[in-house]
Amino acid sequence: MDDGLSSFRLPRAPVAAAAAALAPAALLAGCSGPQSWADTAGVEAEAVARLLWIMVAAAVVIWLLVIGTMLFAARSGPSDPRGRGARGLVIWGGMVAPTVAVLALLVAGLILMRDLTGRTGELTVEATGEQWWWRIAHAAPAGDADAAPVPTPNELRLPVGRTVEMVLRADDVIHSFWVPSLGGKLDMIPGRVNRLHLTPTRTGRFRGACAEFCGEAHAQMALPVVVMQPEAYADWLAGQAAPAAEPADARTRRGRELFLATGCGACHAIRGTAAEGKLGPDLTHVGSRLTIGAGQLPMGRAEMARWIADAGAVKPGVRMPAFDMLPAEEIRLIADYLVSLE
Amino acid sequence: MKQKTLFEEGSLWPVIAALGIWAAHFLLSYWAAALWCAKAADGSGSLFWVRLAIAVLTLLALAAIAWLARHAVRRYGGRLTFEDDLTEDSAAERARFLGHATLLLCALSAVAVLFDAVPAVVFSTCR
Repeated sequence: MDDGLSSFRLPRAPVAAAAAALAPAALLAGCSGPQSWADTAGVEAEAVARLLWIMVAAAVVIWLLVIGTMLFAARSGPSDPRGRGARGLVIWGGMVAPTVAVLALLVAGLILMRDLTGRTGELTVEATGEQWWWRIAHAAPAGDADAAPVPTPNELRLPVGRTVEMVLRADDVIHSFWVPSLGGKLDMIPGRVNRLHLTPTRTGRFRGACAEFCGEAHAQMALPVVVMQPEAYADWLAGQAAPAAEPADARTRRGRELFLATGCGACHAIRGTAAEGKLGPDLTHVGSRLTIGAGQLPMGRAEMARWIADAGAVKPGVRMPAFDMLPAEEIRLIADYLVSLE
Repeated sequence: MKQKTLFEEGSLWPVIAALGIWAAHFLLSYWAAALWCAKAADGSGSLFWVRLAIAVLTLLALAAIAWLARHAVRRYGGRLTFEDDLTEDSAAERARFLGHATLLLCALSAVAVLFDAVPAVVFSTCR
């Protein structure tokens, strides 16, 4: 830079050209990854993306026609609106064509909506929006029809190639369920049951998000999603249905004592122990989850201790109070116990 | 000044009547489906009676709009014109303008009523 004003100069042509060339690349970078509607991994997301691309193509054609006509009119100068063809242009181009285009879009959208919500799934997963986490429960493993659904909060695991019926509810305010790579979105409304279908087409890790502003920590209400082979899914679900593992060593045994003694069980349940709280997420297999706090921290001992000490510092507004009045060592013991619950 | 009644010569009511029919058709169709699915539908969630009701409502609405369009043409001399400017300061020209506006709004409302009914064609259950 030769002087202080150089940053105010217009970019030279090669710079501008490079910027113009890079801009689409930068935009396209947003079209991949674990939370992109364009990088589809589900039948339903593909249907939505297909409709969007058809719409974009049709919009480009219509835009070119309208702009082309406008340029033609500007170049050919003023003429008598009563001239030949003017009436037809107004009726066909201005009335009939837009009506048909909007009708086609309406019918395509309605058929898409019917296909996304109107069928029955091969398995059922209940998801309830809470401030600010996901209360998820999988239908119990096959052959055990009377068993209660298996709680697996803040993590959605699905078998590849199967159509899952998501039963969507909300406990407090309106939330919205959206896993862009797989499908959606659909609102979760207190007092209502909405149903959405997801049919994952490939395995992998994806990210869902609450898509309706629901309060302070709305932006931190993420949902890790794992699509697995059906056998792996069955194994995982059987593991999640089992009660919590017994502590294997003195440290985790002490951690469990502290967990129960400090009142964690008022809000959290650990099946197989005296902790039966229903307010917060079920922690029976919390150590097997990928994240802590609905996608906020990776699962680990240090992260778990940090969450227990002051969850609100990680996720402002969270309902869980800070427990930094406990000695740091006790927090570490509780964290060790929780992370051991796989 | 005395208000003009619905179909008195020079009344403004026909201009907005078609839009009113559209609004009524939309609300009644919406209410029928919402109430049926919330209160009356059986386990299968069949929409048969709602679809029938919306079909009848749609025919009634289209018939009313057609009658209104006929009224606009006969009594007001309305025409589907795009080229003529209706600017003359006379009672006859004002009536022609009202007829013209009514006729165009009838066309718009008829299309809108058909659009309202499309979901009833696509969906056969409450789910």
